[in-house]
Amino acid sequence: MAEVQLVILFTSVALVVIGLYSAIFLDNIIKKIIGISFIEEGVNLFIVAIGYKAGGIVPILMPGMDTTWFASNAAYPLPFGLVLTSIVIGASTLAVMLALVMVLYRRYGTLSTKVMLADTSKREEYNE
Amino acid sequence: MLEFVLSIVIIVSAILALIQKDLLKAAIIAGFSGASVAVLFQVLLAPDVALTQAIVEGAIIPIFIALAVKKTQRSDD
Amino acid sequence: MNEIIPIMVIVPLMAALLISAFSKFNKVTKIFAFVVALCLPLIPILSNYGLHYFGGYQPMLDNVTGVMYHPAITYSFTFLQQIFIAAIGLLTFLVIFIYLTKYKKVSGPYLFLLFLGTAAVTAMILTDDIFHMFVFFEILALAQVGIVAASSIDYSYEMALKYMILGSIGSPMMLLGIGFLLALTGSVNVSDIAAAVHAGLVNATSPVFLLSLALIFFGWLYASGLPPFHTIKSGIYSKAEPHGAALLQSFTVISMISIVLIMFRIYASLPIFEVLIVFFSILAMILGVSLALTQTDFRRMIGFLAVGELGFIGLGIGLGTNFSITAGLFQALNEIIITALLFIGFGAIVNATNEVDTRKLGGLLAYHPKVSIMLLIGGLAMAGVPPLSGFQSKLMLVQASLSCGYPELSILAIMVSIATFVVFVKTYYTMFLKPKPNDLDLENKEVPKAMIFAMGVLLVIVILLGVFPDVVTSGISNFVGGIL
Repeated sequence: MAEVQLVILFTSVALVVIGLYSAIFLDNIIKKIIGISFIEEGVNLFIVAIGYKAGGIVPILMPGMDTTWFASNAAYPLPFGLVLTSIVIGASTLAVMLALVMVLYRRYGTLSTKVMLADTSKREEYNE
Repeated sequence: MLEFVLSIVIIVSAILALIQKDLLKAAIIAGFSGASVAVLFQVLLAPDVALTQAIVEGAIIPIFIALAVKKTQRSDD
Repeated sequence: MNEIIPIMVIVPLMAALLISAFSKFNKVTKIFAFVVALCLPLIPILSNYGLHYFGGYQPMLDNVTGVMYHPAITYSFTFLQQIFIAAIGLLTFLVIFIYLTKYKKVSGPYLFLLFLGTAAVTAMILTDDIFHMFVFFEILALAQVGIVAASSIDYSYEMALKYMILGSIGSPMMLLGIGFLLALTGSVNVSDIAAAVHAGLVNATSPVFLLSLALIFFGWLYASGLPPFHTIKSGIYSKAEPHGAALLQSFTVISMISIVLIMFRIYASLPIFEVLIVFFSILAMILGVSLALTQTDFRRMIGFLAVGELGFIGLGIGLGTNFSITAGLFQALNEIIITALLFIGFGAIVNATNEVDTRKLGGLLAYHPKVSIMLLIGGLAMAGVPPLSGFQSKLMLVQASLSCGYPELSILAIMVSIATFVVFVKTYYTMFLKPKPNDLDLENKEVPKAMIFAMGVLLVIVILLGVFPDVVTSGISNFVGGIL
C-alpha cells in the first residue's frame, strides 16, 4: 500500500467517524444532514483510494499509447465509476431529506430533533 | 505533500462546519471540505470523479443546505 | 443471452417516468397505469430462463489462471426470480388497482413511487452485481420514504425522515463493505467474488474480510428491518396507506432475500455468518411477537408480526442446508402474500370505521362478514394452521432445524407460531367478535369492491400454495442446489 493510500485511509476514517458522531449525537437536524454527507464523502474517498496506483497514470487510453504498457501502468478505473454513481445518489438523498425538513419546520417551528422526531407513539398518548 | 495538506484541510473544515452556530456558515464550510476532497480525487488519478465531486459536493450541496436554511432558521439552538 | 430479462425492470421504470410526466391527463394516466400493472406479473411468467449480459460483454476465460471473469453487469433469471417477480408484479397490480378505484383524481407522483419501488426490487433480485444491487437498494429506500410521506396519516413525515436518517447511516456502511470486497478481489460481480473466496485467493479469516461481512450485514439488517431496526420498520408500515403498506412489506421481504442470498454465496464458508443470521432471526422472532402482543393500534400489530415472520426466513437461510434454505425462501413467498392480505384487509376496516385502536372496535363481523372471514383465514395462514400455505413452510422449517440437529430451534419456532396465533386471535376477537361498544358509530360504509377482489385473489393463492406446495418448493430446491 502506497503512502498516499495510508493518508487517504486515515482521512476517510476520520470523516466517517466525524459524520457518525454528528449524525447520532448532534441535536440540530441540518447539522445531522451535513454529518451524513461527510459519511458519504469518507466512504467515496476510501473507494477511490482502492483504485489508486503509485506512480500510475490516469486511466484514459489516448491514441498512440501501447495497450500493454497502459494496462500495467494505469490506475484501476472500476472504483471510480462506482464513486460517480454514489456521489449522485448521496446528493439526491440529501435533497429529499432537506425537503422533508422544510415541511416539518413549518409544523414545529424548530430544527431540534428532540422536538421534531420525538417518539410519536408517546406523543399520541399525551395528546389524548 | 499535497495530500497531507488536503487531508488536514478536509478534517479541520469538517469539524469547523459542525461546531458553527450559524448554519449558513456551516453549509459553506462543508462545501469547502467537499471541494478539497475533489482536489484529492485529482491527486488519486480520478479526474472524472473529481469534476463530479467539485460540482456536486462543492457547489450543489452547499446551495441546497443554504436554501433549506433560508426557508427555516439560520441559528442553531 | 435473453433480451426479455431487462424488460422486467425497464417496463415499470419507464411507466413510472411517463406517468409522472403526463399525470395531468387523468383518464389516460389511469388506463396506462392499469395496463402496465397488468403486464407486470405476465412478463416474468411468459419469458424464458437465462442470463443477460448488459452491453453484450460475454464472460471471459483467463487462459493463464483458468478463472472466468464477468465484465458486464449480469442479470440471471431462474425459477426463483420468476416466482418472486411474478408475486411482486401481482401485488403491484392489485395495489394499483385498489388505488385507481379508490380515488377519482389520481396522483402521478404516488404512482411513480409505486412503480419505482417495483422496478428497484425486481432489479435487486435479478442482479448478479453487488454494486448494482446497492444502487437499486438506495432507489428502493427513496421510494419507500416517498410512499410513507405521501400518506395522509398523522406523523408520516416524521417517520419518513427518521427512516431516511437511519437509512443514510446504514447504506454508506453497506457501500463501505462493498468497497472492502472490491479491494480484496478487484471485482463487484458476485460470481467472481465467490469464486475468488472459494479458490482461496482471499484469506477468509483476515480482518478486512470479516469487517466487510459486518458492514454489509449491518446494511442488511437495516434493509430487512430485523432488530435493532424493527421499531422503525413496523413504524413505517403503520404510517403508510394500507395498500402502500402491503407493497412496502413485500419490498422489504424481497430486498432481504436478495441481499442475504448474495451474502450467502460470498460468506458461506465463514461459520460466524450463519451464527449471526440465526441469532438476529431469533431475536426478530421473539421481539416481533412480544411487541405485537402489547400494541393497541392494529396496523402496528401487523407490522410487528411481519417483522417476526421475517425471522423465520432468516432462520431457514441461517441453517444453511438445501432443505432449510428452500423452506426459508418458500416462507418468504408465503409471507409476501399473507402479510399483503392482512394489510389490505385491515386497511379495509380502517376505511370503513376511521378507527385504528382495537380497544374502541368491536362487533364488526356482522357489518363486514366477507372481510372478516378472509382476514381470519389470512391470520390463520400466518400462524401456520394446516392446510394453508404458512403451515407448509413452517413445517418445512421445523423439519429442517430438527434434521440439522437443533431441536431447540424447532421448539422455539413452534412457540413463536403459537404466540403469533394468540396475538392474532386476541386482536381478531376484540375487533370482530366482542359486542360492539356503544360509542362506536358505524355509518354503514361499504368496503371498496377492489379491496375485496384483491383479498380474494391473494386468498386463492394462499390456499393453492397450501394444498400444492410442491409446485414452488421443487423449483426453489433446484435453485438452492445451484448456489450451495
